[in-house]
Amino acid sequence: MRDCESIRESIGRWLDGELDTAESESIRAHLASCEECRKAQQQLESIDQILKTTLLAEAQQIEFLPFWRGVQVRIAQKTPWHEQALEGLRATFTLSRAAWLVPAGIAVVLAILSLDSYIPGLREGRNSFASVESIDAYGRNVALLRENESKTTVIWLYEDQEEENATADEPAKSAPAF
Amino acid sequence: MRLLMNPRNRLRLFSLALILTAGLVGAAEKNPQFVQVTIRTILAENKTDDFDPKLKGMERQLKPLKYRSYRLLKAEDQNVPSQGTRSFEIPGGRSLTVAPQEFQDNRIALKVRLTEREKPVIDTTVKIPNKGNFILGGPPHDGGVLVLSISATAQ
Repeated sequence: MRDCESIRESIGRWLDGELDTAESESIRAHLASCEECRKAQQQLESIDQILKTTLLAEAQQIEFLPFWRGVQVRIAQKTPWHEQALEGLRATFTLSRAAWLVPAGIAVVLAILSLDSYIPGLREGRNSFASVESIDAYGRNVALLRENESKTTVIWLYEDQEEENATADEPAKSAPAF
Repeated sequence: MRLLMNPRNRLRLFSLALILTAGLVGAAEKNPQFVQVTIRTILAENKTDDFDPKLKGMERQLKPLKYRSYRLLKAEDQNVPSQGTRSFEIPGGRSLTVAPQEFQDNRIALKVRLTEREKPVIDTTVKIPNKGNFILGGPPHDGGVLVLSISATAQ
């Protein structure tokens, strides 16, 4: 048999229908035999009744229609794409999720550096001239020409004009003409 | 796609991509096994105004030399092994020896030696862009001068 204090603590939940069948039956049996606890039950029922009546009276004064209409409009309303994108970015670039950016960044840099090997002519204009590293013409005259328009490097061998004139009737025009 | 939902898996996949990319970059910069060297021997002179149609595409390169006529005497290409040497016969008892030296930054270093009757005329090392060329000219020949277009392509 449960004592009155424990029963009174459970009356509220019993009234709200939160107790299982066995507990409900135990309280019902106790209330039938205990005058004091029945009074407590009646007091609680009165409070509940007053609260219900007051809330209903207050609720009647509230205009719910515009509120529900607003809720329905917001449910039907689609989020603009830029807000969705922003939200997605926020979710992706939070500190805990952004760890992939480091290897991804390095991969992008490496890919850019290697593009030149796979797309011939990408660096043209920057590095398209032939460059002469060393030259030995064994005492002959040499002229070097780098022509911008066609990006051509020319190494030109020539002999002194006087020497040519002295050794040939019709000199070969090997002196640089450019 | 479910694999990518896990940050740890995402990191693994990107690391893998990174390693593969690094591998590709390394492979791209590796020395080629062969270099295709093409020598075009051209006679430049002032006797006529003819431009050999076989030299189409080289007009802009030959224009600065200011000769009136250009005629292709010979075109020869050979696959030269990296660090190897090949000789090309040039009209007038001449010979051109070409040796690829290195391949770096998509440029090929070529060591070139021109000899005339076994005597050296010029020794030079030139770095040219892959699939590019340079011109070596000036040796007198048949009333004009020889112009050699030396081009190289990594294989």
